[in-house]
Amino acid sequence: MTVAVASRSSRTARRRWRLLRLLIGLPAAAERGVSRFYSWTPLGRTRVGAIAQQTVAEGVRMKIALVFLALIGVCVLGLPLTIQGDSTLTGAVQSYLSYALTTVGFLLAILTIFMSRTVSDELVGKQIMVLMTKPVARWQYILGKWVGICIFNAGFLTFTGFVVFGMVHYIAATHPPIEEIYGSTQMKGRADEPGAPASADRQRLQTEVLVARTATPFILPDFTEAAEAEYQQRLKEGFYDLTRDYDPQEERERLAGKAEAAWRVVQPLSRRLFQFEKVLCDRSADNEIQIRYKAEVFGYPPDEILRAEWVIGDPSKGAARYHAYTRHVIQRYQTIKVPANCVAEDQTLTVMFINRNPYANPEEYPIPEPLYPCTVQFIESAPVECLFVVGTFEGNLARLLALMMCKLTFLAALGLLATSVFSWPVACLVSLAFYALAGMQSFLTEAIDPMDTADATVFSRLADFGRAAMAGDGAAASEAFQGFFLEGVGESLGLLFYVIPNFARFNAVEVLVDGRNVSLVWVLQGIGQLVLVSTTLALGLAMLLFQRREVAEISL
Amino acid sequence: MSQKTTPIVHTAGLCKVFRDFWRRPKVAAVKDLNMEIRPGQIFGLLGPNGSGKSTTIKMLLGLLYPSRGRIAVFGKAPTDVSVKNRIGFLPEESYLYRFLDARETLDYYGRLFRLPERVRTHRTEKLLDMVGLRHEARRRIGEYSKGMARRIGLAQALINDPEFLILDEPTSGLDPIGTRQIKDVIRELGRMGKTILLSSHVLADVEDVCDEISILYGGQQRAAGDIKDLLSKTELTQITTEKLSEETIEHIRDLLTRLEKKDIVSVGAPRHRLEDFFIQVVQESHRANIATSGVRAVGEMPDFLGERTRSLVQSLVEAGRRRDVAAPTGGEVVEPAPIVETPRRAVVEELLASAKEDRRAPEAQEDSPPPAEGPRRAPVEADRAVIDGLLKGSGGGDHSP
Ligand SMILES: Nc1ncnc2c1ncn2[C@@H]1O[C@H](COP(=O)(O)OP(=O)(O)OP(=O)(O)O)[C@@H](O)[C@H]1O
Ligand SMILES: [Mg+2]
Repeated sequence: MTVAVASRSSRTARRRWRLLRLLIGLPAAAERGVSRFYSWTPLGRTRVGAIAQQTVAEGVRMKIALVFLALIGVCVLGLPLTIQGDSTLTGAVQSYLSYALTTVGFLLAILTIFMSRTVSDELVGKQIMVLMTKPVARWQYILGKWVGICIFNAGFLTFTGFVVFGMVHYIAATHPPIEEIYGSTQMKGRADEPGAPASADRQRLQTEVLVARTATPFILPDFTEAAEAEYQQRLKEGFYDLTRDYDPQEERERLAGKAEAAWRVVQPLSRRLFQFEKVLCDRSADNEIQIRYKAEVFGYPPDEILRAEWVIGDPSKGAARYHAYTRHVIQRYQTIKVPANCVAEDQTLTVMFINRNPYANPEEYPIPEPLYPCTVQFIESAPVECLFVVGTFEGNLARLLALMMCKLTFLAALGLLATSVFSWPVACLVSLAFYALAGMQSFLTEAIDPMDTADATVFSRLADFGRAAMAGDGAAASEAFQGFFLEGVGESLGLLFYVIPNFARFNAVEVLVDGRNVSLVWVLQGIGQLVLVSTTLALGLAMLLFQRREVAEISL
Repeated sequence: MSQKTTPIVHTAGLCKVFRDFWRRPKVAAVKDLNMEIRPGQIFGLLGPNGSGKSTTIKMLLGLLYPSRGRIAVFGKAPTDVSVKNRIGFLPEESYLYRFLDARETLDYYGRLFRLPERVRTHRTEKLLDMVGLRHEARRRIGEYSKGMARRIGLAQALINDPEFLILDEPTSGLDPIGTRQIKDVIRELGRMGKTILLSSHVLADVEDVCDEISILYGGQQRAAGDIKDLLSKTELTQITTEKLSEETIEHIRDLLTRLEKKDIVSVGAPRHRLEDFFIQVVQESHRANIATSGVRAVGEMPDFLGERTRSLVQSLVEAGRRRDVAAPTGGEVVEPAPIVETPRRAVVEELLASAKEDRRAPEAQEDSPPPAEGPRRAPVEADRAVIDGLLKGSGGGDHSP
């Protein structure tokens, strides 16, 4: 009896064990399958491809991949669940996106720099001595390593893309819209339930975040004519008779600026016309465009509400005309949605803004309003924009990841360049410093710019110094030398920034979070600048330096 | 042997000076080395530790660049990638990827030669058989013992069926079977007409396989030439027979005195060499199927080796090589190495011993013919100097001021 029981239980145990073994063996089998498939691809058949595969295999087998997968998993899956944003659904998704993508971008940058360690390892471990006695050119080695790191990164980015996409939908499905949280009686239900009234919050998420919109700013009128007229007027009035030193051109510009400032101000009950061009959207009535604006207000209304009337569309150009009455919180970006048939046939759009604080005619607006007259000012660089959907969130996310990939390709090349010159810790530091500088580039260039005072060059400073020294004028010489030194530092920093690509320029996270289009042109620019120029330079230099290197040389 | 063929390796005035970070010279590892290796030669590079053997080899492979002098490998610069197609290299230690298993390692190197998959698989399996690691081929190299890794190193060096094989201390870390096997492989490859350069500290091994040797000391070549010329003892004759009775020996002694006016130097029964005995024991264990996670019985030479040169080899073999070669150890009990080979080995060992003091040959050499009494005169004076140097001098290259 007992024997039979024991044997049965041991049999099930054994079966379970076999199943477990099978499961454990799965990744290895998958890896084998993938590598077999890869070795048949055109890339896999080349030497560069073989080295690349080797690099990826190293990353996978040395558990680097696993650790980073876990890290990314924590960042993309775990932590965001505790993030709340501003308690709106839209806010939650936005802060999730911004947080997850920024962190992953940072982690992958670190990973990429870390991956270049493979070259140092092979130099120290001397595997390279065997490798280089095979018919592999030095440049093939470097290129292979680079391709390997890029494949590794691409894998991670793909993974990130899918997880982020899934998480966004998960949050959208589970996070309650703000109306539910605050028990607003109207607008409950879910956007995905057919026929259910969508909540404004949910709708906002769909139309302002999970889309790719393109924006056109309004056309700023030309104020030169007005300025000229005013200038002539002032001349005639003898305005400048007492002023001796003035530049007429500067004066005209100043007057134009004044006119523009006046134009940007809208008094109570007065109106302003904004013109848009190239609103290249589908003009059908069931399509929607958005007017996004932000108003600064003088004479702050106590309820912080700006009442406005918008007249959108110019019937004289074959467009439909819409009226919208808005009550929006001031000093925040607000969005008005209108059917797209208000766009004229020539893809222009006319938007008239009327400052309705207060409403002059209570009949025009059904709810009785307090009288808070205030003056509106549109001073942001793009205070009024016309937005229209040009793509999907998925496409946007993919393009954002592509831009990230561009940066990573450069970092991979940079890491390889560093490791082909320095030992690992130094190489790592150099790469990290470079990465930090690339991120802060615009910030730093601004800081350095003021140093570039006179039109003196390093050489002219040096010449000054030489002259002073020849003349035996110690004080002048020391001053000239100081100038030369500062100029030299400034110039070399300038040169450095010329070489370091500007990463911030290709940071698309905020744009994506804003539901704006991460344009293909942008991606192409990223490819052009980061991959074709910066990466090629770094990689070429790495190959050149590696070519000259004695791989069996021991450097301590 | 010295036909007018283009040499596989030719160096002229080769120098290597290692410098420090500030480019100050630190070590002169190789000094004015002139070396020529001709096709088909098995060339031994000897010398104490730090005498520049590995440095020379690395320069031949383009891993280090010479400070001065010229190198041509197959008539080209060693950095030329195309040359590498014809070379196999076993470094002094196994510099392999720890995270790959044996099969993957061989496959990877095969891919670097752009061998088609079918060929790669075939060669990989054959080589794994040859080095006796087919059963452990799924394990990562990082887990391997030193000798196992070294065997994969050898297999790796043969994946492209090289014409020129460079082995840096091929027998270091190997068990006697591995050692014997490497020697067999070397000899076999030599028979196929391949050229081999090897460095080693095990003089017996070098003596067993090499045609020509060069002895380095402090980066300089101190002796070089055909090993037979360097080591032959023309004043002795050795005869080996089945066991003889005392009477017969007396007869022979008489005969010798009568005919040649010479005496027998020594008489004894040859013993098995430890190497042979060890191999015999291990092979018996293998036949008894005793479990091991180490190296299994070594297999045969892969058939792909020397495919290109086979016809040439046939003619060479028929023409009769100047040397008997032990048959590859195919699994039968190994015969003691032919005794004709031993004297030469004994000479070097003896030289080492006799350089210190005048005494009888140590016991370990009893299988060799009876050594003559009194200190031996080295066959070549230069050799003597070198060996004295070897004994007195410590390792380490010349340190320039
Ligand atoms: N990369 C290097 N940097 C500095 N010195 C080196 C380097 N490689 C070798 N050397 C020096 O060159 C000399 C020759 O070394 P090498 O490795 O060629 O000797 P070897 O004959 O192979 O010795 P061993 O028998 O121990 O293997 C030694 O003094 C060694 O310290
Ligand atoms: Mg060595």
